[in-house]
Amino acid sequence: MKNVEFAVGLFVVAGLLALAMLALKVGNVHVLGNGASYSVTADFTNIGSLKPEAPVTVAGVRVGQVAHIAVDPVSYRAVVTLNILDKYRFPIDSSASIVTAGLLGEQYISLDPGGSQRNLKNGDKIQVTQSAIILEQIISQLLYSKAGHS
Amino acid sequence: MSVIGWGIDVIRRLGQRAIDGVGRLGRATFFLGRVAPSLGLILGRFRLIVQQLYMTGVLTLIIILVSGAFVGMILALQGYNTLVRYDAQSSLGLLVALSLTRELGPVLAALLFAGRAGSALTAEIGLMKTTEQLAGMEMMAVDPLFRVVAPRFWAGWIAVPLLAMIFTAVGIIGAYVVAVGDLGLDGGVFWSQMQSGVSVTNDVLGGLIKSIVFGFVISWIAVFEGYDAKPTSEGVSRATTRTVVSSSLAILGLDFIMTAFMLRGL
Amino acid sequence: MDTDPLVAVHQVSFSREGRPIFQGLHLNVAPGSVTAIIGGSGTGKTTLLNLIGGRLHPDAGEVRVAGETVSSLSRKGLFALRKRMGMLFQSNALLTDLDAYENVAFPMREHTQLPEALIHHLVLMKLELVGLRGARRSYPGELSGGMARRVALARAIALDPMMVMYDEPFAGLDPISMGVIVKLIRDLNDALGMTSIIVTHDVAEACTIADYMYLLGDGHVIAEGTPAEMQKTSAPDVRQFMAGLPDGPVAFHYPAAEYLTDLKAVGGL
Repeated sequence: MKNVEFAVGLFVVAGLLALAMLALKVGNVHVLGNGASYSVTADFTNIGSLKPEAPVTVAGVRVGQVAHIAVDPVSYRAVVTLNILDKYRFPIDSSASIVTAGLLGEQYISLDPGGSQRNLKNGDKIQVTQSAIILEQIISQLLYSKAGHS
Repeated sequence: MSVIGWGIDVIRRLGQRAIDGVGRLGRATFFLGRVAPSLGLILGRFRLIVQQLYMTGVLTLIIILVSGAFVGMILALQGYNTLVRYDAQSSLGLLVALSLTRELGPVLAALLFAGRAGSALTAEIGLMKTTEQLAGMEMMAVDPLFRVVAPRFWAGWIAVPLLAMIFTAVGIIGAYVVAVGDLGLDGGVFWSQMQSGVSVTNDVLGGLIKSIVFGFVISWIAVFEGYDAKPTSEGVSRATTRTVVSSSLAILGLDFIMTAFMLRGL
Repeated sequence: MDTDPLVAVHQVSFSREGRPIFQGLHLNVAPGSVTAIIGGSGTGKTTLLNLIGGRLHPDAGEVRVAGETVSSLSRKGLFALRKRMGMLFQSNALLTDLDAYENVAFPMREHTQLPEALIHHLVLMKLELVGLRGARRSYPGELSGGMARRVALARAIALDPMMVMYDEPFAGLDPISMGVIVKLIRDLNDALGMTSIIVTHDVAEACTIADYMYLLGDGHVIAEGTPAEMQKTSAPDVRQFMAGLPDGPVAFHYPAAEYLTDLKAVGGL
């Protein structure tokens, strides 16, 4: 019976460890858990297939994630709220662009830091944005311009 | 026999099966109503559940570990083969993790559990009935539903989510070994792509919820079929088969329904 | 009978799947006695034990055990009553995943909070009574038929019940094991002050230990008396059973259509 109890204990621990691994290593719980963050917004004309919890990177390094996506009822542009970790500060004239990992990969937000002395703080808005590149539009533009040349 | 007579016979048999099926479902529900309230009682004798966790969980671990690792490795190979055509092999970790957490982990672990442990539960309870062990307990003023059925039911229910999580984790590790060791992908990209695309609330939790539902259904079917088995060797063998067939179908059917709901919920 | 019966089966009727098994069955078991209930196969002897144990309910009439009507007891009351009854199944019904010791300890562990040391004493005492103290670590599958039955007997008396019911205790045993069981039933009954009900078709063994006998047939008692009275009786149906004659009032043939008609009816599928 002692051995049985030990084996069952190990089994339960293994199951819980597996769940922990799925949450921490496979999922992205740790970004939320990594201390405080501040949020800024950015408007885009088209976000493509950006989803909440997509990463926010600077020079390829992950600094935060997309918290929330909504549509501005007046301008009809997409309002994306970004949560950025407190330890990272960026100039207020930084620009945000939606880029794709690889040709068909996940979409994420890449920040390009500007040169201002003032930094972005909670509730600020990133003014300069570049929307997602929609593959179909590029292809159709390419075809039309080709047609125009010939 | 005329064609009409044959047709009537087919319809009659269909009707009979439908009536049997509804009757069984009713009995199974009634049975569940008698077993489930035993949780409070059984917690007082947790040792009974621990013993059954050993029989259902620990002894199923080997097949779960081996299958999980192989499924992960196969997914990595197949996924790489497809993704590399679009130069998207960096998403391999994500592809494998999403497939495993959302679908393959819960479903395959549940199917393996039904075959390995569910059938054993049915056979054990059915044989105890056949050899009058359950009747003997009743005459000793021991309720077999509490002493025999309830610990197995609860242990099975607890074991399946744990096994599913282990299956998924081992599968991802297996995929990592193949992707990084054999296919030459970068380990950091493998994990970071995965982390950026796997949602804990939707994917990991969704898979966990699925496996909890599967665990409940398999354990319920397995103990009911055993308890309801005809007390003959043929009856027990039929009940064992029914456990595997019914729970496999139930797993796939419920998986479809839950997947549909979860995707709509996004 | 001058004392109140411990078990009173009063005008009981019972049928299963439309087939009547008992009609107006009436018998009493005196406390402290060994009562044998004999009858051919299929006369419902096991069913009778199930009625007494409350696993089945009569369609009419009542079964009273120790003054309580079994069929009207709540589940709790029934279980309380069953703790005072032991039962020896024909199949022994030992728990196959427990060894002999744990099988005997099983009812004690389920129903008492006794300390382990006391359970140890009690189990060894019960096993000593049936002569199997040395086989306490054997599993049911490793025991011979006779030994398994003795373990089952030790388990049946584990909680010192007021009565023990034996379902075909002599079936499938070699002569020596049978002799052991016969002696044990009588000795335990007298030493522990129990009441024993034996259901059997082994007339000779039943006669050697029973104080009183009932012969069942056609759903009711067709003869009763002490073994001596039963053996002296001249009624043909009782004589046939007591002496084991192949044909008599109980026909050799199961009721069937006329032999020649049946044979001619080829292709009647």
